[in-house]
Amino acid sequence: MLLPVILALHAATAVLLPPLVRLLGARAFLVASLPPALSAVWALSRSPGIAAGEPAEASVPWVPALDITLDFRVDALSLAMVLLVSGVGAVIFCYSAAYFRSDQAGLARLTSVMVLFAGAMLGVVTADNLFALYVFWELTSVTSFLLVGFDQRKDAAGRAALQALITTAGAGLFMLIGFILLGQAGGTYRISELVADPPVDSPLLPVALVLVLIGAFAKSAQAPFHYWLPGAMVAPTPVSAYLHAAAMVKGGVYLIARLAPGFADADPWRVLVLAFGLATMVIGGWSALRQTDLKLLVAHGTVSQLGFLCLLAGAGTHTAAVAAIGALLAHGFFKSTLFLVVGVVDHQAGTRDIRRLNGLWRSLPVTAAAAGLAAASMAGLPPLLGFIGKEAALEAFLPGHSPELPPLAAGLELAGLVLASVLTFAYSARFWWGAFGDKRAAETDIEPVPGTDAGGEDGAEPRIPRTRATPPSAVFLAAPVLLSLCGLVLGSLPGPADAIAAAYAAPYSDHGKPYHLALWHGLSTPLLLTAVVIAAGAALFRWREAFARLQGRAPRVISAEMGYHLFLHGTYAIALSVTRRLQTGSLPAYLGIILATMLALPGVRLVTALATGEVAVPSGGDGLRLWDTPLEGVVAAVIAVTAIAALREHRRFPALILLSATGFGIAGLFVLHGAPDLALTLILVETLTTIILVFVLRRLPATFSVRAPGWPKRWMVVLSVAAGAFISVSLWLMAAARTAEPISLGYEAAAEQAGGRNLVNTILADFRALDTFGEIVVLLTAAVAVASLVLLNRRHRVVDEPSADEEQIEEEGSRR
Amino acid sequence: MRPPQSGAVPGAGEERRPTPPEGWEAPRERWLSTVVSPAFGPRSVLLEVVVRLLIPSILVFSVFLLVSGHDRPGGGFAGGLVASMAFVLRYIAGGRHELAVGMPLKPNTLLAAGLLLAAVMAGLPLIGGAPLLDVFYRTFELPLFGEVKVASYLFFEAGVFLIVVGLVLSVVAALGARMEAEEEEARAGHRRRRRARSGGGER
Repeated sequence: MLLPVILALHAATAVLLPPLVRLLGARAFLVASLPPALSAVWALSRSPGIAAGEPAEASVPWVPALDITLDFRVDALSLAMVLLVSGVGAVIFCYSAAYFRSDQAGLARLTSVMVLFAGAMLGVVTADNLFALYVFWELTSVTSFLLVGFDQRKDAAGRAALQALITTAGAGLFMLIGFILLGQAGGTYRISELVADPPVDSPLLPVALVLVLIGAFAKSAQAPFHYWLPGAMVAPTPVSAYLHAAAMVKGGVYLIARLAPGFADADPWRVLVLAFGLATMVIGGWSALRQTDLKLLVAHGTVSQLGFLCLLAGAGTHTAAVAAIGALLAHGFFKSTLFLVVGVVDHQAGTRDIRRLNGLWRSLPVTAAAAGLAAASMAGLPPLLGFIGKEAALEAFLPGHSPELPPLAAGLELAGLVLASVLTFAYSARFWWGAFGDKRAAETDIEPVPGTDAGGEDGAEPRIPRTRATPPSAVFLAAPVLLSLCGLVLGSLPGPADAIAAAYAAPYSDHGKPYHLALWHGLSTPLLLTAVVIAAGAALFRWREAFARLQGRAPRVISAEMGYHLFLHGTYAIALSVTRRLQTGSLPAYLGIILATMLALPGVRLVTALATGEVAVPSGGDGLRLWDTPLEGVVAAVIAVTAIAALREHRRFPALILLSATGFGIAGLFVLHGAPDLALTLILVETLTTIILVFVLRRLPATFSVRAPGWPKRWMVVLSVAAGAFISVSLWLMAAARTAEPISLGYEAAAEQAGGRNLVNTILADFRALDTFGEIVVLLTAAVAVASLVLLNRRHRVVDEPSADEEQIEEEGSRR
Repeated sequence: MRPPQSGAVPGAGEERRPTPPEGWEAPRERWLSTVVSPAFGPRSVLLEVVVRLLIPSILVFSVFLLVSGHDRPGGGFAGGLVASMAFVLRYIAGGRHELAVGMPLKPNTLLAAGLLLAAVMAGLPLIGGAPLLDVFYRTFELPLFGEVKVASYLFFEAGVFLIVVGLVLSVVAALGARMEAEEEEARAGHRRRRRARSGGGER
């Protein structure tokens, strides 16, 4: 199958793009649009079969040991998502070619990350393995982090990118746990098998579902995670149009829609999805009406729409599933159009602030028309796709329409839907009016035309000048026009959309009343409700100033973003307090902790084992002898004397020399025991450490600080004596406790075979070479770490910082 | 190691010498490469001479340890320690400038090269279908040396050797040389401040 190849093509294009950008400038985006375009064309070519219920599948083995296969499966839902992700994606890439200037800093990175994102998103919507889905999912989080934080000079961009990453990827970790629980409960990690045969009896299922929903909610910006989406609007507009309208934020909706056929009837799925979806929908609509930045208005509107989509996707009834596909496609088309229109307005008029725009439709008529179509689709006006989706949604929640939903819950949802639709209508109108409409002077910050502002007597308002905009190029306009027309065409001829919707909703029972996406269902309750919504929405727009005053007076609820910051600060505070307690900077404290742990765990165990008789004390004659040669005694005496002398020495330098003398003594013991290799290495290491310690000693006072006699000192003595005793006793016991043949017996022959006569070295470089390899990696890490830690205090690093820091350092230095 | 150069580094001290020796008795080369300001205490000619004479032998000995490690005590780790000792000696005798001149490569380059060598030697058997880190060797007859064994672990050990040298050099550069430079800087700053203060007092 072609799909894995297309995915690989995305990655390959991402690698090839940076040099191309240097060559072609922003036109490289046209090249970048090829892989998504290819994927959309491929999906379209397969669509008849997929809509008929024959999903396209492919499988690539990845980690066979963990049963992780890159399974791909494109069914009706995936088809709809592929069309959005790749089709809308390709259009947005072409738009980007006109949006970005060729001398934009970091353009190469932007293009290549965007293509990577397109590939990752394609993977999310086509993967049929939970792990593969998770990997692609997090890839979209990471690429989105890079895209939102694209402008590295803006602090806000970095903060927003980090916020989005922490929220989505952090919740993604919960989702991973949920996936694993789901896979364990169901005995497979293939999504299609899990949905077809859900493990409904497993006690783990509710936990797994809650965890998975947390991840999906965070990705799709559901309350209380919705704060990250408006924050992420610092991204360039084409990025927002792609990530925050068509693709990434749909990830959560997709996952919910993907799992709903299997799990919608399992508690607590439906309660969570319906409650959080509805809340998000109303919160988003409410806050969208407060915005004056067009892009933020669209962003808050997106939050609201995502709530709508989640609740449709997760409701788990036939009609809701049909509505979900209709609304999903409609939202992909109109929301990306709106973002692109904001980009055009911003690009051509130089601002996207509602208060600074007036009468723009005259200079940007085509843009205004496209925006009008998209806004009407969002508001739910016929004959657009948005209207069809909303009709279906209203129908789905009519009390008594679907037996899966209790009438009370359905009625509640319906009321919420109508309320949110009124808000949606109002902010759709506000968007078009804000961007293109003629305004009164009181509604803008624009300076009135001179000479007209004094005309107060006859009640005539001051006239304000129209915003001027340079006409956009045809390529620049093509994208929003094309996408808005998609909504119109699919709305007027809902056949293709209905085919996909019917194929997706097939697993649900339609209770004998199959619902189809169509413009005209007769004079039904939903149509009446739509009329009510339009009337109420129009009224809300008409009296917008009164409503704005009402909103201004409404008490501000605790914002979810505050929660995020509290969480972050709490984490920092805990981390700091833990670090402050554990990392005191005092070597004796560290050593004390290490020794105390050693005594508390293995030490106590040894004592209890000795007490209960688990470990036998070796009898005296068991190879225990004073020495092999009297020379050993002499060396031992040297070690003991230097060690005790080092303890009693108060000057650092002599103490260091005594300490190394102890080390050399131990090397002597090695020699006497016939281990020249160990001895050689020990002598070399001992020499080097002594020299290096001498370097450090230059910085330290000549004598140790004298510890006053008292409990701390006594404790130290007790701890040291106990640790020494434990080591000696356990060595003695261990040497006598051998029960198996030593493995070293076979080493001699093996070394001969390996062609070496030095056993130690053959072990190091041959038998245990992997250990050695790990150790040299540790050495390397230590080298880099030591160098960077010591060089951290370099003066020229401080110079880059504001002078306040330098003063502080100076202060600290003088205090010391 | 670079051979000692004559006059490559302009020395401020030379002009102050009263009468330089002439003719054949004038020294043409320094014992060490740079103007000497040793790491510790006053300059010691004895130390310089001994270090200059010892370093080549130490380096040769380190290579000997590396090569002979498989049949006799030694190996890459010990060899690397001995080789780095040569550089440490050079630093002690000549100070940080001497160390900078004497380093064959930057410590980070050494570390990277060592890890690369070891990783390549670890992965090489995979190409032939053998397990990771498999050892292969061949024995040659060379004139004068007799039987010589070239084994893949020798190159693996050479990687260890390079990493050990890199580690010690970067620690010496960080703990020794950097601190020395900072002390010098601090002293200079102190002197400047004192001069400024005394200048202010005279006025």
